[in-house]
Amino acid sequence: MLEILSFPFMQRALVTGILIGLLLATLGIFVLMRNMAFFGDGIAHASLAGIALGILTGVAPLPVAIIYAIVVALIIYGLERSTRLSSDTIIGILFTASMALGVVLLAATPGFQPELVSFLFGNILTITFTDIVLIGSFATLILVWLLGWHRHLTYATLDPDSATIAGINTQLHTILLYIALAVSVVLGVKILGIVLISALLIIPAATSSLLTGTFKSFFWISGLLSVVVIVLGLLLSFFIDAPSGATIILVAASVFFLAALGSHLLKRR
Amino acid sequence: MHTHSHKHLEATAILVENLSISFNQQPVLKNVSFEVAKGRLVAILGPNGSGKTTLMRALLGLQPYQQGVIRLFNEPISAHYGNIGYVPQKFAPDKSVPMTVGEFLDIARDRRTPIHRLNESLEEVGLNPVSARAKQMATLSGGQLQRVLIARAIMHHPDLLFLDEPSTGIDIAGEQTLFELIGTLNKKHGMTVIMISHEVNMIAASVDQVLCLNTSLVCSGPPNVALTKDSLTQLYGSDYVASHQHKHV
Repeated sequence: MLEILSFPFMQRALVTGILIGLLLATLGIFVLMRNMAFFGDGIAHASLAGIALGILTGVAPLPVAIIYAIVVALIIYGLERSTRLSSDTIIGILFTASMALGVVLLAATPGFQPELVSFLFGNILTITFTDIVLIGSFATLILVWLLGWHRHLTYATLDPDSATIAGINTQLHTILLYIALAVSVVLGVKILGIVLISALLIIPAATSSLLTGTFKSFFWISGLLSVVVIVLGLLLSFFIDAPSGATIILVAASVFFLAALGSHLLKRR
Repeated sequence: MHTHSHKHLEATAILVENLSISFNQQPVLKNVSFEVAKGRLVAILGPNGSGKTTLMRALLGLQPYQQGVIRLFNEPISAHYGNIGYVPQKFAPDKSVPMTVGEFLDIARDRRTPIHRLNESLEEVGLNPVSARAKQMATLSGGQLQRVLIARAIMHHPDLLFLDEPSTGIDIAGEQTLFELIGTLNKKHGMTVIMISHEVNMIAASVDQVLCLNTSLVCSGPPNVALTKDSLTQLYGSDYVASHQHKHV
């Protein structure tokens, strides 16, 4: 079994998977607290336009998609504050408009696009050393920000008015959270794909909330679960010869349902 | 009435001059002016939609205003951020977020405030620190939650304490205890306390000053002077005054 760890593609997949898993599971706590589960899905789908733009212009799609996703995240933030529309409505509009733009751009790109399929559904075989450096750099930056300012971010999320009065720049922290989410979701697209990536943002945090009573362990369990399901999912996908992204999500969903069942049975006792 | 010096009482904690706020061209506050001396316990009274919460949010720097001046201790509001306690009207802990009372308070704790202040502030609001800190936020009753929110607001010993309808969701016996607690905090720490309330009877008996609001300021002063039949009629209408006259006029 250990021999699969000797494959360079599996080593790269595990390293990036663990980094992305930790990142999304930690950010997922704030996504759950802010009831913005649709945000991750919206950003991931919207990033198709950035990916298509990268493919069309011959520039590396991932960096272009990151920049595009940050712009979309900032537009969502701006519209949430300047209009009466709900966050879900705004995300729904930007998500579909960006996907439409992506489809138009891809139609203008001549020939078959094998890279596109890997972005849609994720492909661990396409993860390069450059991707690891890019993902590692952003993940370190975002995790350092979270480690240093998680209390301010939590306070700003729980009770924005009280946090403002306490002297915390709640707007800045919210903007940084939106940017961190946009970047992390796009970084994870190579592993899980546009269609599935938001699951890693939601499932570990949701499972953790069922298993613990303290906020501190809420973070730790979410991160740990995310790493476990990614490693298990990757290994399982190798042995059963199934798509890695989909297998990871199926493992995560199974753990969630087990936790939900366990928590229900415990409450009944 | 208070234990602190006369000089302290004369210092102005809050100064509001000609404050006007409109939403979509509809005036919510019109030319409101008043002063609150340091160490006073003040209640903002008024019917629903009279601008009470808007006024409090403006005093906290959370509500932009079209006209007027607001100064806290003769300085801009933001100069006092970190030195203001606030108990919001609506705060419902999210059931999907596991968090203990201890964690909830610690998140709001300024790093300059020692950790033992958590226990002290819980004791001050009448909660057992050991058992209260371990409780889940989502399982607190309305009264317990209000006490925890007050403990959070006073943890840093602020000079100013704002409470937006602190008795919402609490039974009559709990209301009485809550107002007594707020009075004790005001006297013990010399905090200037501003609270919004609908409880005219309890307020009249326990505060130093009332600000009667119905878009504009109807009356301001000690309750026994300001809460006249005329001012209460302007606030709540003649029917209310007729039915409550025997109680406080």
